[in-house]
Formats: sequence, C-alpha cells, structure tokens
Amino acid sequence: MKRVGGSSAMAWLFGASLVILCLWVLLPLYLLMVNSVSTPDQIHGWPKRLWPEISFDTILFFWNFQGVAQAMFNSIVTAVITLLLSILLGTPAGYGLARFRFRGKNLFRIMVLMTRAFPLPLLALPLAVVYLQIGLDDTLIGVALVHTMLALPFTVLVTFSLFLGIPRELEEVAWTMGCTRWEAFRKVVLPLAAPGIAASAVFAFVVSWNEVFAAAILTVNNQTLTAFLVQSLDESPVHLKFAGGLVLVLPALVFIFAVRKYMFSLWGIASR
Amino acid sequence: MTGISVAGIQKRFGAYQALTSVSLEVRDSEFTVLLGPSGCGKSTLLRIIAGLEYADGGTIDIGQRRVNDLPPRLRRIAMVFQNYAVFPHMTIYDNVAFGLRTRKTPEAEVRTRVMRMAELMDIGAQLSKYSAQLSGGQRQRVAVARALVVEPEVLLMDEPLSNLDALLRLQMRAELKSLLQEFNTTTIYVTHDQVEAMSLADRIAVMNGGHIEQYGSPMQIYSRPATRFVGGFIGNPPMNFLLDDHHSYSRQVGLERPGKAHSLGIRPEDIQVYREMATQCWPVKVGVVECLGPMQQFTAELDHQMLRVTADPDLALHSGETLYLRPDPAKVCWYDGEGRMLPV
Ligand SMILES: Nc1ncnc2c1ncn2[C@@H]1O[C@H](COP(=O)(O)OP(=O)(O)O)[C@@H](O)[C@H]1O
Ligand SMILES: [Mg+2]
Repeated sequence: MKRVGGSSAMAWLFGASLVILCLWVLLPLYLLMVNSVSTPDQIHGWPKRLWPEISFDTILFFWNFQGVAQAMFNSIVTAVITLLLSILLGTPAGYGLARFRFRGKNLFRIMVLMTRAFPLPLLALPLAVVYLQIGLDDTLIGVALVHTMLALPFTVLVTFSLFLGIPRELEEVAWTMGCTRWEAFRKVVLPLAAPGIAASAVFAFVVSWNEVFAAAILTVNNQTLTAFLVQSLDESPVHLKFAGGLVLVLPALVFIFAVRKYMFSLWGIASR
Repeated sequence: MTGISVAGIQKRFGAYQALTSVSLEVRDSEFTVLLGPSGCGKSTLLRIIAGLEYADGGTIDIGQRRVNDLPPRLRRIAMVFQNYAVFPHMTIYDNVAFGLRTRKTPEAEVRTRVMRMAELMDIGAQLSKYSAQLSGGQRQRVAVARALVVEPEVLLMDEPLSNLDALLRLQMRAELKSLLQEFNTTTIYVTHDQVEAMSLADRIAVMNGGHIEQYGSPMQIYSRPATRFVGGFIGNPPMNFLLDDHHSYSRQVGLERPGKAHSLGIRPEDIQVYREMATQCWPVKVGVVECLGPMQQFTAELDHQMLRVTADPDLALHSGETLYLRPDPAKVCWYDGEGRMLPV
C-alpha cells in the first residue's frame, strides 16, 4: 500500500484537510460547551474569552425552565422503550440472518437497509392519521415505535455481523454436550455477543434521544426534549438553546466514546 | 453396546447432491475413519450422524436407537471440531466441565472427573487459563478432554489434527490412538490424510463424490482397492494402472486375467526390477529417478504408459536406460471398464 501523502505537498494538503475536518466538528461542540457554562451575560458579550469563568447559571436556568424537566423525562422514557424494542426485535432477527438459510434472505437484508432510505417526512402524515385513529397520538410509546423503526435496521445488521463473527461450531459443540438451542445461545453466544449488543442498545438510545421530526409531529403535550426545544426555539432566550444543545449532544458523545472500539468493525461489517 | 448403523443417507444442498445413499456400519468400540478428498462429503456425513445437519433420506441408529429425529443433545455423542471450538469466554476448567454441568452432575464429581481428564490429557497447568492463552496443540487437548470427560457412547471427530503442525500432529496421533484404545469408545474420525487414516483406523471408509467407495481394514484397502479411485487415492505414490484391454501386457508377463478386465493395478513396491533381459518381463525406459533414503523411486515408460516403481537403494539407475519389470502375480488387481475390481 502507498502511504497517503507521499510528497510533502500531499502531506501538507492531507494535514490541512484533517485540521479543517476536526475544526468543523469540534468548533461547534466547543462553542456549545463554553456557552453552556458561561453566564448569560458572557454569551452575549464580546470579545469572547477562550476559557470562561465556569458558571452554572445557564444550565440551572435551562433546568428550571418551564417544561424542560418533564420533556427530558419523556425523552428518557421514549429512548428506553426504543432501546428495549430494538434489542428485543433486532437481536433475534440478526441471529436468524446469521445462522439460518431461508428463502428470500438476501431480499430481506436489502429491505432492512431500504427502510433507511425511505424518507420519514413522506410517512409523517399517514402515520399521524393512523395514530389519531388508533389513539397512539401524543403518547410516548407512539413516538418510541417510530424511533424503533429508525433504530431497528442498525440493530438487525449490527447484531447480524456480530453473530456471524461468532463461530457456529461453538454453538454446535454446546448442542452435542447436552444444551438445547436456547441454552447454547444463553451460555455461549450471548456472553460473547454482549458487548456488541450493548453497543447497539446505546446506539438505539441515541437515535431516539436525538430524533426530532417524528417527535415534534406526533406529540402535543407529551413532548420529548428535542420536540420541546424545537417548538420553543423562537420564543426562548439564546442561552437556553445552548444548554439544550449540549444536553442533546452529550449522550451521543458519551456513546461514541464508549463504543469507539466497535465503531470501525461495526461499519466495516454492517456494509457487507 | 453402541454400534452405529447408517443406511441410505442422502443429502442435497440446493441442486448439489452432497451424499448419494451412504450406508455404514460401525461396530461397538470400533474406530472407523472416513477418508476422502476435500469436498467428498465426509463432514456432511459426520454432521448428519451428530444431528447438526438433517438428512434428506435414510436412517441413523446409534446403539439400536433410531436417532433420525433426535436433536444432537439427545444422541449421546461427543464431537471434536477441526478448529477445536474451545469456548473463549470460559476458563479451560469450565470448558472441560461444561458437558458434565449441563447434565447436572454434582459439582464434587465434576471436579474429580475434570481433574482426572486434565491429568490424562496433560492440561493440568492450563485449567485456570483461557483459550486465547493456549497454543494450538493445547487447545486440541482441551477439545478432546472436553469431549471424553462425559464418557460418550460415540465420539465423532472432524479433522481434529489438521490444524496442527506436522511434528505435533504425529505426536498427537500416537497419543490419541492409545487414549481411545483405553476408553474403548466407538469412534468415527474424519480426515483427508491417508497416513492418519491408515495408522488410526480399525476400518477405513474411503469416500468419493458423496458415496463410499470401499469400507474395510487398512490392509484390505491398501492391497485390494475395490475401485481404481481407492487405489489411486491411497498410497504414496499411488497404485499403477496399466491399460490392458488387448490382453497384451498381461500375456507378456504370463498373468491369468478375468474376462472383462480392462486394466490391471499394481503397487509400485510389488514390481520386480531386472537389469538383464528376462522372460515374462516388460521392457521399460527409465524416466525420473528419485532417491528417498531407504528406497528409490523411478518412473518407467511402457509404450507411452507410465508406471511408478520402487527399487532397492543400491541399484544404480540412470535416466533413459532400459530395464525389465515383472509384477508380483499375487499382488495384481484387475479392474473393469468402470474401474471396479474384478475377482480373480
Ligand atoms: N451448508 C452447505 N451449503 C451448501 N453446500 C454445502 C454445505 N455444506 C457442504 N456443502 C457442500 O457439500 C460438499 C461436501 O462438503 P463436506 O462434507 O464439507 O466435504 P468434506 O468434509 O469431505 O471436505 C462440498 O462440495 C460442499 O461445498
Ligand atoms: Mg470437512
């Protein structure tokens, strides 16, 4: 393999692109953090300081803002339901894909991916109508169902590659040693797959936590945090937005940090 | 008494016929080896016996019990896989104890049996380690220990030695042989290595293209190959086959031959080599000469047909010279046009 940046000009270009890309991602995060721990005055003030005096005024204001606590609670409930549903539905599907031969298997895999290509806005109106009809409108479980739909393809494909990576013989040897299929799964496969399943669980949580479109459309009173922030965006002071932004970003950051070890293998195998 | 009786087993994978009506009888405490080239269906047959794969037709009995519809866990078997399949998330102790624990053996008994097995397999020092900390040979021992500790009625092994390097394989082969003689377990052992098969087996089933070509003792298989395939697969170098449809070569050396004979087969070491013209000999031209230490091998051309011959190491051989060969009449086998052996 040739090294990227064989000549010095290439190396320079490569380095510069890296710096730009990093700034592109990190600068907003930096501003978000800094402004969240600044006083409201500092947020509006100029010039900025690189390190503000740490103050929790903004965060406290955000926390005490009417409706934030409830919205945050709703977000957590929705995300936990999404997490549970995705794992409970997605893991068996991933296992089935990895271990069984059946008719239409490849079609099924493509369909799983295709659901991600389907634009949610197109689905929004019919979904809202159906939800109104069956009484799921403005409920957290209703939102969680849509979020599960968004997270499920990843859960299926990630657990699929996870189970593929666990040799079939490990299970088979357990069967010959007196295990039922389920016992072999529980004693042999599950312990080996647990870290990966945990990673995809956290991923489902983050998908739900960050989703705004469906949450905003399907709820009126029981809003999740994203829906709440979007709706009160116009009327709320700017430091509220910063604090809200940080709260939204934080779980995703924690997630990436926690599962960074898996990220590459997940993408690499999930696209196979 | 745990014999294995397999009758008329068939298996298709899609349009591909992997097994065509395979039948096999393994007697109690017999060591049977399934031998054949890669892809001939050995593993498929073994997995069907283990219950890891369903047959499309035929019956399997283990110890007078019809097991066709039983899951692997109820077939009273143990299996050793080529890649050992040692559970990576358990210590070696827990690996060996696994089968005993799923059968609800009291923990005190688990302990004594695991310890005894560990001593027997020389893995006592590894018991608290994990699979990743072991060498290939040690993993192999763990896999065998784990299978034997439950004292199975039937032991199935799928190329258990083929992932070891040559020296270790030789050593493990000898150990395995004495171990299994001691345990007296009915065993089916899959390999594509003919030396392994010859040295381990009570009986060898030579497979080819989804069926069994011959099932017999190593000596029967070697000296009386039932088909040309078996003769050509077993032996290094393999059996020579001489096309003799006009009866000219057999008459030349004074051999009686069955009427339908199409070709004659003779092992390289069953040919006498003469330097001087003698009666009832094939005059041949020497091709490549290879000295292998205890003996030498050379290729001999007889009217555009090639023979491989084993000769004494002190015989001076020169490429291109003419020699005279005479096959041992008692060792010659006759084959018909389809390659099946004919009775003399
Ligand atoms: N699960 C499967 N799906 C499709 N074909 C298979 C499967 N398992 C084995 N085969 C085919 O069946 C034939 C026999 O395989 P196998 O029993 O593994 O051979 P061996 O162990 O003798 O090398 C091979 O041609 C193989 O490609
Ligand atoms: Mg095989």
